[in-house]
Amino acid sequence: MPRDSLIASDNDADITLEFEGGEEGGHKERRHREKRRDGSKDRRKRGNGRRRQGSRSVERENEEERVGEREKERKRRVKKDQEAKKRDKEEGDRAQTRSEKTAKAKKNIKNEKRRRSEKEGEAGERTEKGKKKVQSAKKEKSVNHGTKDKTHEEKKKKRKKVLETSSEQETSEEDSEDKEDSEDEEVKPESLSPEELEKLKEAVDDKKKLIQSLRGKPWPMKKKLVTLRESQEFLEKYEGALGKGKGRKLYAYKVMMMKKWMKFQRDFENFKTACIPWEMKIKEIESHFGSSVASYFIFLRWMYGINMILFGLTFGLVMVPEALMGRPYGSIPRKTVPRAEEASAMDFAVLWDFGGYAQYSVLFYGFYSNQRAIGWLKFRMPLSYFLVGVGTVAYSYMVVIRTMARNANESGVGDDNSFNFSWKMFTSWDYLIGNPETADNKFASITTSFKEAILEEQESRKDDNIHLTRFLRVLANFLVLCCLAGSGYLIYFVVRRSQKFALDGLENHTWWERNEVNMVMSLLGMFCPMLFDVISTLENYHPRVALQWQLGRIFALFLGNLYTFIIALMDEINVKRDEEKIVKFNITMWEASLYNGTVSENFTAPPITIHPADVPRGPCWETMVGQEFVRLIISDTMTTYITLLIGDFLRAVLVRFLNHCWCWDLEAGFPSYSEFDVSGNVLGLIFNQGMIWMGAFYAPCLPALNVLRLHVSMYLQCWAVMCCNVPQERVFKASGSNNFYMAMLLVILFLSTLPAIYTIVTIPPSFDCGPFSGKNRMFDVIQETLESDFPAWFSKVFSYASNPGLVLPFILLMVLAIYYLQSTSKSYKEANVELKKKLQMQNEENKKKNKKAAQKALMDLEEARKVALESAGHQRNNNASYQGQQAREMQPATRVPRTINHRSHGNPGYLPNFPLQNETMIRRAPSLQRH
Amino acid sequence: MVSGAIALAFLPLLLTLIIRYRYYFVLFYRAVLVRIWKDCITGLSREERAYQYVLTHSTPGDPDSILDSFDYWCSKVEYISNIGPKKGKILDRMLMEQSPLTVLELGAHCGYSTIRIARALPLGGRLYSIEMDQTNAAIAEKIIRLAGFDDDTVELIVNPSDEVIPRLRSDYNLERVDFVFMDHWKKCYLPDLQMLEECGLLGKGSVILADNVLFPGAPKFLRYIRKSGLYEWKIHRATLEYSKGIRDGMAELVFQGIK
Repeated sequence: MPRDSLIASDNDADITLEFEGGEEGGHKERRHREKRRDGSKDRRKRGNGRRRQGSRSVERENEEERVGEREKERKRRVKKDQEAKKRDKEEGDRAQTRSEKTAKAKKNIKNEKRRRSEKEGEAGERTEKGKKKVQSAKKEKSVNHGTKDKTHEEKKKKRKKVLETSSEQETSEEDSEDKEDSEDEEVKPESLSPEELEKLKEAVDDKKKLIQSLRGKPWPMKKKLVTLRESQEFLEKYEGALGKGKGRKLYAYKVMMMKKWMKFQRDFENFKTACIPWEMKIKEIESHFGSSVASYFIFLRWMYGINMILFGLTFGLVMVPEALMGRPYGSIPRKTVPRAEEASAMDFAVLWDFGGYAQYSVLFYGFYSNQRAIGWLKFRMPLSYFLVGVGTVAYSYMVVIRTMARNANESGVGDDNSFNFSWKMFTSWDYLIGNPETADNKFASITTSFKEAILEEQESRKDDNIHLTRFLRVLANFLVLCCLAGSGYLIYFVVRRSQKFALDGLENHTWWERNEVNMVMSLLGMFCPMLFDVISTLENYHPRVALQWQLGRIFALFLGNLYTFIIALMDEINVKRDEEKIVKFNITMWEASLYNGTVSENFTAPPITIHPADVPRGPCWETMVGQEFVRLIISDTMTTYITLLIGDFLRAVLVRFLNHCWCWDLEAGFPSYSEFDVSGNVLGLIFNQGMIWMGAFYAPCLPALNVLRLHVSMYLQCWAVMCCNVPQERVFKASGSNNFYMAMLLVILFLSTLPAIYTIVTIPPSFDCGPFSGKNRMFDVIQETLESDFPAWFSKVFSYASNPGLVLPFILLMVLAIYYLQSTSKSYKEANVELKKKLQMQNEENKKKNKKAAQKALMDLEEARKVALESAGHQRNNNASYQGQQAREMQPATRVPRTINHRSHGNPGYLPNFPLQNETMIRRAPSLQRH
Repeated sequence: MVSGAIALAFLPLLLTLIIRYRYYFVLFYRAVLVRIWKDCITGLSREERAYQYVLTHSTPGDPDSILDSFDYWCSKVEYISNIGPKKGKILDRMLMEQSPLTVLELGAHCGYSTIRIARALPLGGRLYSIEMDQTNAAIAEKIIRLAGFDDDTVELIVNPSDEVIPRLRSDYNLERVDFVFMDHWKKCYLPDLQMLEECGLLGKGSVILADNVLFPGAPKFLRYIRKSGLYEWKIHRATLEYSKGIRDGMAELVFQGIK
């Protein structure tokens, strides 16, 4: 029997056991009540039930057929029984003598022919005899397990023979008679008395328990398999006999429903997994590259989810209302392309730079008008714009912090270095790996890590050369700092130059010069991490630590670059604001001249309608900031994709196809395939998100762009990883680094909201563009809403609430609460550590105890063996019984159950053997597990 | 045109490449540039220069001193891709373990590995060394004689390996080769191995040691031995001779025959 099917049948048995247990009581009652009911109906049901049971596993189909045959036979036999009972009294004596003869004949397999007329009479007697036989067999069973098994096996053999004969010649009467003879030995439940049924039930229970405890038995596997199969057959045969009528049906129904429910659950799980976006892809990558690479993709997916929500907020509450209900394009100056730019507003180059029509659309801040309420819904556009801006940031904070807290719970136990080698031994395998190459790498990395750990241990004991490593680490950090400073200066230089270009007029310069800032930033962000990677080989850290250092360095680099960029932007904002002042002045002059002109000509004529494209306007700095960010995102995305295509794909293609005609091995040697750079990619993602958070207030289209980008990069990177990367040489688990990413995300979130909030709070909005135009500050919109849209008392309450006298105590209270929570968490942590220690102590104590107990048991066992040997020697001298008894008396505590059994030899009752043994087994098992 | 700032942004990439592949650059410099330079100056070939150095700096008849001076010349003065001292130790150990009676060496070059093998041969062992190049073979011959090995121990055959191997059985009365050392053209590893199989020179337990299977590398050879079930094989990982950072390996094959 194949192992799978065996396991399956085992499970089946378990299930049946579970459900049998519940219905045990019911069965008993029903059995008594319905015992003398019409048999045929019963049997039919039983047959059905049995068929259901049989259909559970495919391999039982054959048996089912056999069962069907058996059923037929039994029906026939029972009929005969009923007839026989009528004639019982008449033919009593003669039948008895005959039955003895048949009993002898039974033992011979080749049965002699018998007269048909006498057959019926004999059958009745035979059933009785069969019962007695079963009784005796039961006694044996309950007395000794071994003998029981034997009798059982004998029965099995006989039945098998019967089955063979039945399949050969079913109709011939001689054979049917023969069969009856042998089948008499089997239990016929419908003809049993209540007591016998009880016994049968007990036997069935025994079998069940045997199946349950089989796994823990110290037998060879073959014996286990044989006993399992036998007891299952036994159960299948007699279990059905015990349940009757409704209970049976219900039971079968229940089992069926259970099966269906389980199948449904499994399907539902599959469905749920299929519903998680990209789950299968990520799992596949995980199996090929280990969990550290997969963690990047999981992070990417998480990011995608957040951006979807941000996108929903901005799109649903800002962009769509403005596009649908706001004034249409061309109605007011801020919604029109100026006359000077009209000619080139639709050029691709201009659109690609987000100028022209793209600039004067819902995509940017400047397009929104400062109407308080728009459309028939009276949608408060400026308020909505402001609240969405605040809400996105607040939501991001909430999500990040919540995730961090959840992750902290998971990794709360923390790494302790006390069991370094056991951790390595038992937990270093990554069970998600499903690719032989990665498994090889993992294997190699584990062995090398063992070697390294041993070396480290040795070195830590030697404690030499620490100065060299320290020096190297300091040197590496110094180099990295130099690199950071260099890149910062380069960006600063470029930004300053770009400002000079802007003053000169951008048209005089080439495309390269115009996009210098973005290009340089992207290139530095791409190449500096490589340099850091090279430098970090100096330090000789564990890869996980090295990864964190690497992340920290790249983080510093990106942050430096980003802040240089922002500072440059600030300068530009100031320039624009100066420009704005001039324009403002000019406009008043222009308007005055316009009106003066008209006034002089005609008094009554309506004010001249000027096309909005011709109206002079200020340089909307908010739109400028938004555009800068959008451009940055676009160029960043482009560089990422191009690097992916050139650095990974092209390289892989070259290596793959040039390898045939090259003078060295390209795959193993110099260019090789690239590894997936987890840290760089994660940081790219994080900083990209930071830019989104920074710029989203001034360019509502940013979340949409980011969603698009993440979506594309999900597919592209999945493909690139599977197609052109090789598994990392040092595969390591990334379990610890997840929260590290989160912490960085939080820092970035904070750092990116900082400039945004600064600009919102300190710089007044432009006078002629955006939803807040005409206000002194952007947040005035809230005050305005409070005054005009809410009842007077509310604004009063609000003003009281914002009173420093109230706010300060509140902040104080919050600080206190935070302090309290922190101190409690600290104490909990300490308590945890204490508990851990306690557990360890307990473990050690238990270990000691166990050792003692095991040694004692061993000694006892040996003693017993000696005694047994002696007793065996004595047995030869024919005085075994007394000695044996003594030896058993001397057996230690672990053997007690068996001695009890031996003592119960004389007991007439069915004292079952297994329950006792089982109890000891159960009692022993947990104690084993504990250690 | 591309502005200077953008060009400067490529500086980290350049630095990364230089640092990461510094050993390859050093190797390129020593093995190619210096060689060309010296060839122009002295008018001698690299092998001749090596021979001159060895002749003047070692004791004749002492293989160890010859090997030492070779090592010194290759690591300090110029570069010749001999097997080198570290991988040579592996070779020595294997020879000690196997103590083969018939050894075939493919690619003697200037005799460094020939001396190494001959030094470790057991009594009565015989080494057949095949070298394709005439001038190299002449130098190898001189160096072998300098080390004190005669024709009985070392038989230098000047011919391409693919011509010699089929004739080994007839011309040199070889029935079976116990040990094969491959260090000639990396592209010839696979055809030569197959030829050895065809000629039936390999018996059960014959050991084949192939140098430089990772760098410069013999991918086809490795693929073949992975696929064909004829060998028990493993790769001894080491670094390239006279260089620290370039990883290289020697493939050790034990012929099992068809099971």
